[in-house]
Amino acid sequence: MPWRRLLITFLLILPLLWLLAYGFTRDPRYIASPLIGRQAPDFRVLLFDGKELKLEEIRGKIVFVNFWASWCVPCREEARDLEAAWQRLKDKNVVFLGINIQDRQEDATKFLREFNVTYPNGRDLSGRIAIDYGVWGVPETFFIDSSGKITYKHVGTPGAETIMVKVEEAREGLVSAKEGKGSYQSIR
Amino acid sequence: MWRSSLLLTTLGLLLVILGTAGQQDLEEQTRKIASELRCPVCQNLSAADSPSELAQEMRQFIFDQLKQGKSPEQIKGYFISKYGEWVLLAPTPKGFSLLLWILPFAAAGAGIVLVLFLIRRWAKKKKRAAKPVTPAFGEQPETSIPVADKISSEPPPELARSSLREKQVRLSAELEELDFDFDSGRFSEADYKELRKELEDQAVIIHKKLDSLPPPLRNQPATPETGATPSHGATMRSEPASRRNWQLVAGGLFLLLFGITLGVFLSKSLRPRVSESDIMTGDFLTGTGPGGVTGNSGSDTESFLAQGRAAFERRDWPQAIDAFKKTLAIDPNQPEAHSYMGFILAQAGHAEGALLAFDRALMSNPNFAPALWGKGMILYQVKKDFPAARQTLERLVSLMPPGSERDEVQNTVAEMAQLSGKEKQAAKTPPTKGSSVIQGVVSIDPKLKDRVDGQGTLFIIARSAGSSAGPPLAVKRIDQPKFPVAFSLGPENAMIPGTTFSGKVTLSARLDKDGNPTTKEPGNLTGEYKKNPVEVGAEKVNIVLDQIM
Repeated sequence: MPWRRLLITFLLILPLLWLLAYGFTRDPRYIASPLIGRQAPDFRVLLFDGKELKLEEIRGKIVFVNFWASWCVPCREEARDLEAAWQRLKDKNVVFLGINIQDRQEDATKFLREFNVTYPNGRDLSGRIAIDYGVWGVPETFFIDSSGKITYKHVGTPGAETIMVKVEEAREGLVSAKEGKGSYQSIR
Repeated sequence: MWRSSLLLTTLGLLLVILGTAGQQDLEEQTRKIASELRCPVCQNLSAADSPSELAQEMRQFIFDQLKQGKSPEQIKGYFISKYGEWVLLAPTPKGFSLLLWILPFAAAGAGIVLVLFLIRRWAKKKKRAAKPVTPAFGEQPETSIPVADKISSEPPPELARSSLREKQVRLSAELEELDFDFDSGRFSEADYKELRKELEDQAVIIHKKLDSLPPPLRNQPATPETGATPSHGATMRSEPASRRNWQLVAGGLFLLLFGITLGVFLSKSLRPRVSESDIMTGDFLTGTGPGGVTGNSGSDTESFLAQGRAAFERRDWPQAIDAFKKTLAIDPNQPEAHSYMGFILAQAGHAEGALLAFDRALMSNPNFAPALWGKGMILYQVKKDFPAARQTLERLVSLMPPGSERDEVQNTVAEMAQLSGKEKQAAKTPPTKGSSVIQGVVSIDPKLKDRVDGQGTLFIIARSAGSSAGPPLAVKRIDQPKFPVAFSLGPENAMIPGTTFSGKVTLSARLDKDGNPTTKEPGNLTGEYKKNPVEVGAEKVNIVLDQIM
């Protein structure tokens, strides 16, 4: 019977079409992180002021880790927002930490001076911290709660409002399974 | 003594050779592991093949881990824990990923089974068609045809049906012939009735037999050709089946050829992306080669933009304008197309139009660097509006990564600051009488003061006296004005550079909410100079914004 054959053909073709259409909706560069909800990898980073900071040493505080580079345009766009958020949160048991990757020392220093960044910043010289956090774009931001668990990840510029909301969620230990997305650049 | 030194040298050499071999082995292992990992910032490249900085860091990390005695599985496990299963070029056959391994084989297996089934069906049909028809059945006299119960041991239903239908046709012809003979007086009425009854009885038997047969197959023709012998009828019936098989073979061959052609052309057409915003296809399939586009085959914004860029570089303005207009027809907020239009207008001397285009680009993306640059330079070089130009270019500087380009913009800003100082000094000296400048003040009607919030853009417009339509003679733009606003309107504000700004003009002003001079929104404040027309060179021209649009 023709209608039966037609039905079978459609039933075979439709899932394939759906798969194809679904593929078009996805960003081929986007890599979902398996780290959300897990313990944040510990690291030791040399700060620009010469001191050394170990993530473990700031356990008990809400930690905002931001990976950035001076050549990244979205990082420049978010720089002022981050500093403003830091000014509002610095006395509220929150630590902001910038990790500069794939950059030159002088360019990174100029960037910090230009945007008057006052929160601690360090350089990931070997790229090990970036790999440990599965970083593939800049800026990428991780929110870590007081127990050391990653509660949220944002690829691209998060915006001041998102920062405030996600810090509060981290304070309550709430994990956002869905990653945030703003304008970003692939790392080199 | 010399023996011991020789021994030491040999041992040293041995250690060096062993060390080098170990190093080579580690490098080989590093390469092998990296070749199984995907480079996170590339498209379909392994960490072993990618020249990216991240891939280099990954290779170094693998090397260090191997040196520390970690196994390849542990190292791959580490990368999976950071980037997920995605990082493996060949996913592990577990869970959902197992489907990726099974599906191709399952699909191939299903395909083979389908082909075997079709071949079997085809062979069966052929066999059935070739089988000779039972002579007893075909040659039986009509009167002795047994009723339906004999059919089961007789030929297949299709053959029986066609044979019976042939007989039906023959009987019908015989009946017609009988009627004709009776009408022509060849038979007596008694003979005619007897013969007719005989034929009708035969027809009833055939009809009953036909009814007792199973329903006909879908593809079987409804009636066989009249006059054909049973064996000939069988050959005719096998024809559609064989034709269908040939169609299948032809369709298969066509698909195979199509696949090969597509594979060959597509692989030849693809090229690496030249920038972040570049699309991946190229050359003759889409007409978007890396060197720009020559054809008009593309229909998306990216393709039109590429055409426009190429035309812009060739300084082929009409084609560039055409391409950017097409881009804007698809996406009216495309900032790059607006910016390019701005540059084209600027080089053609239409400063106002260029400013408008840059503003449109900045409305959809306030951080769009080319538009900031274009706007800044027009404000600086054409409009001599140094504070606005400085503000725009400083914003651009804050967005640019360090480098020679940023230094250049910074130098321009510094240059502007110096010029701005000189301008202020010059402004202090009173204008000479009879100059080609109109000076005055724009103020707000006290009743409408609460309508002003310090935002918006003030346009002071001069038209030739007597003309109320067409482009204005000159326009001055002041962003976020603080009322009352002192202004001077001169040749530098002319819409078309080089136009003489003299004679009698009518003056008006508008406080525009969105800063777009071509749109007039409700709530905009407007006003005209009460003593219009006015001579160019006039001073103390007071325009009051006293109307709401």
